[in-house]
Amino acid sequence: MIELCNSTDVVEGEILRRDVDGLPAVALTRHEGQIFVFPDTCPHAEESLSEGWVEDGRVVCGVHFAEFELGSGEVHNRPAGCPNLTFFTCEDRDGKVFARLKEEA
Amino acid sequence: MTMCRGSCQGAGRPDMTPVYPTAGSYPDFARLVNRDTAQVDRRVFSDEAVYQAELRQIFARAWLFLAHESQIPGPGDFIRTSMGEDDVIIVRQRDGSVKALLNSCPHRGNRVCMVDAGSKARGFICNYHGWSFGLDGGLRGTDGKVYEKDESFEKAQIGLTPVAQVASYKGLIFGTFDPEAPSLEEFLGDFTFYLDIMLDNEEGGTEFVGGAIRSEIDCNWKFPAENFVGDILHAFWTHQSGAQAILGGGVDLGKRYDELAFQASVYGHGIETNLDKVGNTRTLGYPELVDYVFDLSERARARLGEVRARAIGAVSSATVFPNMSFLPGQNTFRVWHPRGPGKIELVSWTIVNRNAPERIKDLYRKGVMMTFSPGGVFEMDDGENWEYSTRVNQGFVTRQQPLHYALGLGSEDLERNLPGIVHKGSLNDANQRLFYTRWAEFMEHDNWADLQNGATAAPARTRAAAE
Repeated sequence: MIELCNSTDVVEGEILRRDVDGLPAVALTRHEGQIFVFPDTCPHAEESLSEGWVEDGRVVCGVHFAEFELGSGEVHNRPAGCPNLTFFTCEDRDGKVFARLKEEA
Repeated sequence: MTMCRGSCQGAGRPDMTPVYPTAGSYPDFARLVNRDTAQVDRRVFSDEAVYQAELRQIFARAWLFLAHESQIPGPGDFIRTSMGEDDVIIVRQRDGSVKALLNSCPHRGNRVCMVDAGSKARGFICNYHGWSFGLDGGLRGTDGKVYEKDESFEKAQIGLTPVAQVASYKGLIFGTFDPEAPSLEEFLGDFTFYLDIMLDNEEGGTEFVGGAIRSEIDCNWKFPAENFVGDILHAFWTHQSGAQAILGGGVDLGKRYDELAFQASVYGHGIETNLDKVGNTRTLGYPELVDYVFDLSERARARLGEVRARAIGAVSSATVFPNMSFLPGQNTFRVWHPRGPGKIELVSWTIVNRNAPERIKDLYRKGVMMTFSPGGVFEMDDGENWEYSTRVNQGFVTRQQPLHYALGLGSEDLERNLPGIVHKGSLNDANQRLFYTRWAEFMEHDNWADLQNGATAAPARTRAAAE
């Protein structure tokens, strides 16, 4: 797993973007206390999800307004062809957020 | 402007900053209104060139009514309306302010908002190529695959064109496409004194109830605007049967007509009233509303003074130049959108005091529907007249005969301590003459200094009365 940030940096209801060396940028948010990590790039039109917002337990893309359920990534209000969002496995280890951003051998 | 022919290297990036039209001067059209003989040339109602000049000189410059604050209470709430023939979106921002945006994508011009109204919008996405605009009109993204990789593409520069100025007066939101236009209050001038009869007769102000009623009438937009600005005369003939059906008697301007009734005009905006307290309200057919307005009028005396308190429900009508009209006490509120020289789209609402009892609001809503809607008793009376006036004026020989606007010449009231240009009696063509004088000023002048200091400006002596 890769360390992303301090867990206190992830604020309820807000989306934080993190650049990771050699990998696409990721986004983090906190909902009802739990931390979620997902790709910053929307699977629909490659826009930045961190420029969107969280509403009723869903990440909303700020460009075409696709909504992704936190955790399952199931898409709602989707533009044609927009797939589900894939969430990364993550953990809060002693105040640091770690996530598995790629398949590890 | 020339487009590159295949070898350009991006030297001429598109400049996407808003373009606002400039005014010209049309003295020949201005002369179609003859102030000396109180005549109007019929070509103002049918000539295509005159109509195109109206869109440029009047609708692209004047402050136009856009929405009532109550229609878009929260962030993302919006309505779609027109300014002249231009489609615009009026949308509440997250900070509570209001923006008005041209409803046209800067890419290929497609309409980006298809519905008449909505709440909690997140933004507006063009159906053609997926260009997405925030509530502030800024471009948030496109299809996300091609433009993002195009180095010449400057997203931050692109957006829905904002209406140049937006401002409110006591709940009514107006906009103008002219960045040089004076403030809304200067445009309204002392007419705000009369607007307050409807907008500020009680703490809490007003709101619109129910939805909008939309209809089309095959008439020139100026016929309804001039009718509401000062033509109560037509009621005695046009509305006689409707009045008898509802009131059990004919139209009556009251025993104290000679003493009380007047017309007042400022910058072409006008009101006529007989100050009988409840004549307009009675036409809705609900005695409960009449009681309500009598009581309201009593309470409003401290707030508005005797004259305006009597006007709240009186037989009266008003137009704000160019195309917003209302009936005090009757509570219909409307805009006559031009759709060519011979057609309008009429959008009307019911306006009530926010603090009125719910039952009173509902009676107003029903009463307005039964009188001033496409199926209403009085609207149908009017629409037919305006359609035939428009159609018949197009006759080649017919349109060479000037029209008579001379009722009440020499009736200006120099004694009465009221703001604006005041004339005696409400049965008078005075406000209509001043409406067309204002129209001619807009045709003639290419600048606001001349527009605000001509024959339609309120005389200085009456300014104090508005204080």
